[in-house]
Amino acid sequence: MSALMIKAEHVSKYYRLGKLGSGRLREDLANWIKRRPAVSNEINEHSKQEIWALRNVNFEVQRGEVLGFIGNNGAGKSTLLKIISRITLPTSGCVYGNGRIASLLEIGTGFHIELTGRENIYLNGNILGMNKKEITSRLDEIIDFSGIERFIDTPVKRYSSGMYMRLAFAVAAHLDPEILIVDEVLAVGDAEFQRKCLGKMKEVSSQQGKTVLFVSHNMQALKNLCHRCITLQQGEIIDEGKPEIVIGNYLKKQQNNFTYQSYEAPESAPGNDYIRIKKAALTADYIDGFDIVDIRTPLHIHFEFWYKDIDPGSLIVGVHLFTFSGECIFDICSEPKKYNNGLYEVDCNIPGNFLNDGNYYISVVFVKNTTQRLFYFEACLSFEVQDYRSDTAWFGKWIGYVRPSFPVIVKAKPE
Amino acid sequence: MSNNLQWDWKIDHKISLFKWDFKEIWQYKDLLLRFVRRDLIANYQQTILGPFWILLQPVLTTITYYIIFGKIAKISTEGIPPLLFYLPGIIIWSYFSDCLNSTMYTFLHNSTLFSKVYFPRLIIPLSNIISHTVRMLVQLALFVVIYVAFIAVDHSAHISASIILMPFILLLTAAFALGAGLIISVITARYRDLDYALQFIIRLFMFATPVIYPASIVPENLKTIFWLNPLTPAIETFRTGFFSTNTLQLQPLLVATAITIILLITGLALFKKLETKLMDII
Repeated sequence: MSALMIKAEHVSKYYRLGKLGSGRLREDLANWIKRRPAVSNEINEHSKQEIWALRNVNFEVQRGEVLGFIGNNGAGKSTLLKIISRITLPTSGCVYGNGRIASLLEIGTGFHIELTGRENIYLNGNILGMNKKEITSRLDEIIDFSGIERFIDTPVKRYSSGMYMRLAFAVAAHLDPEILIVDEVLAVGDAEFQRKCLGKMKEVSSQQGKTVLFVSHNMQALKNLCHRCITLQQGEIIDEGKPEIVIGNYLKKQQNNFTYQSYEAPESAPGNDYIRIKKAALTADYIDGFDIVDIRTPLHIHFEFWYKDIDPGSLIVGVHLFTFSGECIFDICSEPKKYNNGLYEVDCNIPGNFLNDGNYYISVVFVKNTTQRLFYFEACLSFEVQDYRSDTAWFGKWIGYVRPSFPVIVKAKPE
Repeated sequence: MSNNLQWDWKIDHKISLFKWDFKEIWQYKDLLLRFVRRDLIANYQQTILGPFWILLQPVLTTITYYIIFGKIAKISTEGIPPLLFYLPGIIIWSYFSDCLNSTMYTFLHNSTLFSKVYFPRLIIPLSNIISHTVRMLVQLALFVVIYVAFIAVDHSAHISASIILMPFILLLTAAFALGAGLIISVITARYRDLDYALQFIIRLFMFATPVIYPASIVPENLKTIFWLNPLTPAIETFRTGFFSTNTLQLQPLLVATAITIILLITGLALFKKLETKLMDII
């Protein structure tokens, strides 16, 4: 009656680092001999090296459901998939399940470079749980999907990495388990390869009604493929529900933002004899129904500063925008003008549909008489722009530093 | 609710020592044979002589032993032509040490594979043993060819009834290697530094096995210990079967069988107990 495929009950996993993994008999013996006089120390040391990779995790998966897991590195996603795949054991708790599982924790598992592509299809297929008959019946399809018919009887070591991956994914794509477990395997390969993989994933989940557990850092893919998402943080489920909502909550928490700083008195404010910063703020004009900064969101930069110069010249205030990897996106500045001493405010707008997704920081520069740098307030604001795409089949990284929505027009030309 | 439902499988931390799921291994027989095929193809694909290495290896070893131990050290071969005397020892010994060497590295050599996909881990040592059995059978065929050639030349055939024990001897050798290998595999996965010591011990162990000398020259006071080595009755029964130089020693063979069974059960239980737990260490 019930269409439950997997049920995880109070699953916990605990790792001990260091001591127990010394891997050397001599050291372990020495520790064992030393243990008695140094009991208290040992215990303290142990408690530091214990890690709960999963803590009391409970969830259920229905037949035909695509469940996505999100979380930072080390949140426990992969550990959870490994437990369900029977690669490692839970420390406590249980996982119950129905049906045959195939795990894709990497593609091309067990490929042997000395063997031909064809031999490797069988080898990899067998390793992933297919039997010989199943592989033989799908062999033509697999070879066709891989697109490397010409090299199928060449040893895999002569393949380019792209060919290798295409072949590996072709095998994986033709698995036919009742439950499919996929861990970040789509993060590899070139754009075309990723497109193909994600297309296949979509086909598998939506048309074939397979139960899929899916870990990815590709939020677009998760949003498009999953019916439900779970967020893990330090081994615990902290959020669960509709993908848009769960992903939105996760991204909000993730946004590496430093969007506001203000100082009461000039003495304690950053700056020098000429310039003291009173306030720096970045505000977003959120799109209706969203509360994260994505590529469509207009941004406002606002500064206030105290200016003090006994011999004032012309002053320029410049705003520099950098990516986290250090490339300057723009350097814009105010008109050179003479100002009296006092408090000033600066405003600058970054329109929506201008920046590409990514992490950015802003620096402000104050320049006197075109060349004399009075103060450089470096990396005073930082923010992250999330990707946003309306219905599209392409989930890979959109290239380019900026992503303006200039129209690109194609129309028929009379011959 | 979960208690009322019928589940196909269940994962928890409890592992029973003796609940060996041989049915599951049977389900994975395609994978087992695939690994055998992979080993056989991959190992000989790039070598110039290809599969002839399987034959060349015992022949070259025999010639070396003949020169060093037969000609120089002048160790007795009990009147058996040296080529025929050394081959059985070499075949059994290399079968044993190949099986042991591949089984004991089950975890260390397959850690990446084991961390990515599930299948009964016992498939790996079993497939290794099968592929080494194929090699050993080829070598055995070579022995029979040489044996027949010798008979044709000097008509000195002395086959005895114990030749029917041959399949049992080979099984015993494989089971001994598997049992010992499984035990060592879980230990070396944990303590990698034991690896070097073990390699050394295995090399020395060959000299405690009647490969290059007949069991009859072992001094009386060492005989009891000497015959406790399951390989001793294995090789000696082999020689008795083909050359009738000695009478069949049934009692040591039974003792060897008992020792092997104990080792094998211990090995399987340890392996079962630790196969998944070790994944957190390696």
